[in-house]
Amino acid sequence: MYAPLLANRYLTSRIIPLIAVGAVALCVALVIIVVSVMSGFLDMVRNSGKTLIGDVVVSYPISGIPYYDELIKEIEALPETAAASPIVETLGLLRMPYGTMETTQVPGEPGRSEQSIRGRVEFVHVWGIEPESLERVAGYYDKLYWRKPSDEVAKGLAPDDPRLDPYYQRDEQGKTLRSTRDRDGIVLGIEISPYNKRTRDGSYRTRGPSGAQDPDYFMPDLPTTLTLVPISSNAKLGEDQSRELDIVNEIQSGVFTIDSQRVLVPIKVTQEMLKLDEAPFADPSKRDANGRPMIVGTTPARATTIVVRARDGVRSEDLLAAVERAYASFSARMRADPTRTLLPPPIDRTNIETWEQRLVDLIGPVQKERELMRTLFSIVYIVCAALVLAIFWAIVQEKTRDIGILRAVGASRVGILWIFLRYGLLIGIVGSLVGVLLAWVIVVRLNDIHELIGMPASTPVKVTAWVAAALALVMLVRGLRRASALQTVCWTFGFAALSVIAFSLLDYQGYMVWDPAVYYFTRIPSEVDWDTVRTTVAGGILFSVIGAAIPAARAADTDPVQSLRYE
Amino acid sequence: MKPPIVKPLLEAQGVKKTYRLGQTSVPVLHDASLTVAQGEWVAIVGSSGSGKSTLLHLLGGLDRADKDSGPISFDGEDLRAFSPARENLYRNRDVGFVFQFYHLLPELTVLENAMLPSLVGLSRLAWLTGRRAELRDRAAELLETCGLGHRLKHRPAELSGGERQRVAIARALINKPKVLLADEPTGNLDVRTGGGILDLLAERQAGGLTMVMVTHDQSVAARAHRQVKIVDGRVA
Repeated sequence: MYAPLLANRYLTSRIIPLIAVGAVALCVALVIIVVSVMSGFLDMVRNSGKTLIGDVVVSYPISGIPYYDELIKEIEALPETAAASPIVETLGLLRMPYGTMETTQVPGEPGRSEQSIRGRVEFVHVWGIEPESLERVAGYYDKLYWRKPSDEVAKGLAPDDPRLDPYYQRDEQGKTLRSTRDRDGIVLGIEISPYNKRTRDGSYRTRGPSGAQDPDYFMPDLPTTLTLVPISSNAKLGEDQSRELDIVNEIQSGVFTIDSQRVLVPIKVTQEMLKLDEAPFADPSKRDANGRPMIVGTTPARATTIVVRARDGVRSEDLLAAVERAYASFSARMRADPTRTLLPPPIDRTNIETWEQRLVDLIGPVQKERELMRTLFSIVYIVCAALVLAIFWAIVQEKTRDIGILRAVGASRVGILWIFLRYGLLIGIVGSLVGVLLAWVIVVRLNDIHELIGMPASTPVKVTAWVAAALALVMLVRGLRRASALQTVCWTFGFAALSVIAFSLLDYQGYMVWDPAVYYFTRIPSEVDWDTVRTTVAGGILFSVIGAAIPAARAADTDPVQSLRYE
Repeated sequence: MKPPIVKPLLEAQGVKKTYRLGQTSVPVLHDASLTVAQGEWVAIVGSSGSGKSTLLHLLGGLDRADKDSGPISFDGEDLRAFSPARENLYRNRDVGFVFQFYHLLPELTVLENAMLPSLVGLSRLAWLTGRRAELRDRAAELLETCGLGHRLKHRPAELSGGERQRVAIARALINKPKVLLADEPTGNLDVRTGGGILDLLAERQAGGLTMVMVTHDQSVAARAHRQVKIVDGRVA
């Protein structure tokens, strides 16, 4: 029972094991910080991406799914379903109400010219939606940016935040997709307009070309022109359709690719423009009195996508299976009904996916990056084992005589081995726990640390740096006068480092590594990934013991006579 | 006054030991024989490099003799037949070592150094059942008799040479061994301090402890019951 006593004493009475503990702690902290931030980032991408599409998506692009309202009723009747909403998805061109001012000659009137704005055209991803049902599926109203903030939110907003101004509060227009002029409206992704400038706290200001905040560049009720091209089921392009729509609000989903391309319009608008709306059905084999094909019924309106939200506690996979069954039953029933003028696609040609499968292009790369980081940083474990090995090798060398003494008083080889393994285990445990603590402090305070280094250096900080550099210089001179190599070397490095810091702070204006004005998320993920903590701590301890094992075996093999002769 | 020999406790017959230095074999002991009776104090003397310390290490089971060597026996048991576990037990219980350079563990206190052999021999069960306190009391008592009662919590670095050697003696005696093997116990001390150490050892020996002491100091050897001289690896 001497092993615990010696292992504890070796750990607490020397500097070398503290260096080993520090090395293990830094390795563990490094892995936890990097993987936690990456995991947090992945969660943010996943959650943001999910917010607009619910849990399961049924889609049949271009031709769409007919009788979708009946399908939605069937899906909503499922015990797994909370709500479902139809969407018509397509790509389009959007002429914006801003652009370059052009001067043109008035035709037929030489010497007279007129000025006009040539609207900039954006390539957009158009969603025709039913706002109410989309709200139930995906919390659409919460994504509208120009809303009246709650009292609690308002307290946290900067005084110049436009959302505090009633002029900018366009809740109703966003919810109904109708402008104040009672025309069909369009909601733009907040990143589409170049005049929405994101600030460091993640909020937006509408700044015109001069850079000053200008309400004119917030564009409610200004008309845009949306142009869509209908495509037939046999992939032929129809005649392009344009329609004027008033800007009613903007959305912020949290995913840059969505917010920079997505526009939302009433589903009826997209159905009409893409010829997916309800229309008379003519039978070419029958002719009316005018000799034209006889109208025998109507073709139903279609939706290209149905987004479905699961009830609380239902997994996406379970909802997927239920929706697949419901769709198969719906499709079979429609096909068996001779009165149906348009048949829904069979289930094997319809895409029915969970939100994760749907967003694989978005989530996949981030997930891969996280795993790559985890793998790359796992090399740190080997560094950890190598550091412990090197330090333990030195410790065993230093403790050769102790080993001889222990053998002389009857300690076994296994006992000696166990002292050093236990010592390695202790270093692994203490180092890993310190590492977790360090990582936790850094990850939790990451945004504060980031803000601190993002601020310009204050005068007291600059003065402190210069005083510290001056003190280091004094200590360096003292070391030289005393002819102490250790003091001289240490204070030379200290003086050099502090001087560089002091000089750098002179003109330091703050450095934002994660600038929310550039990166999309406003805050760096700051939650510790506890799964990573568990595996990293286990790895840190395991590799510390592995690092200690070889020197421990060497210690066990030490010849006591040889070690006692050494003096 | 030489006590009557009761029975041999330690016996070496025709012991050989050769060290290898790279490609060279260096014979240190050739057919060295020695018998130490129970309760006897034997001083092994000889010039530097004559093999005194090697013989002591072999007697104490710290080192192993050559394969063609004669036997070394303790209380009738041949050390060559000892298993590694019995060999550890022999060093822990049956013999105690005192070295010229004290060889204390610097991280442990005086009390812990003195307790070390008893802790090495202590089973987990004995530890859990509170035998540690008993051992602590015994070590403290032993150190008190060695004149170190006021130094129990000190580290070896805080002690004088004589005090360190007293701790080493207490450590050697903690498990009540039958034989004390001392390698130049006063070799690193001034005459007065060395004398004090010898008095302490003599006092213990008078209580029945068998003692084998290696020394090259004739005045120290003279205090033993018997002197054995080693010349060129043989007992002269």
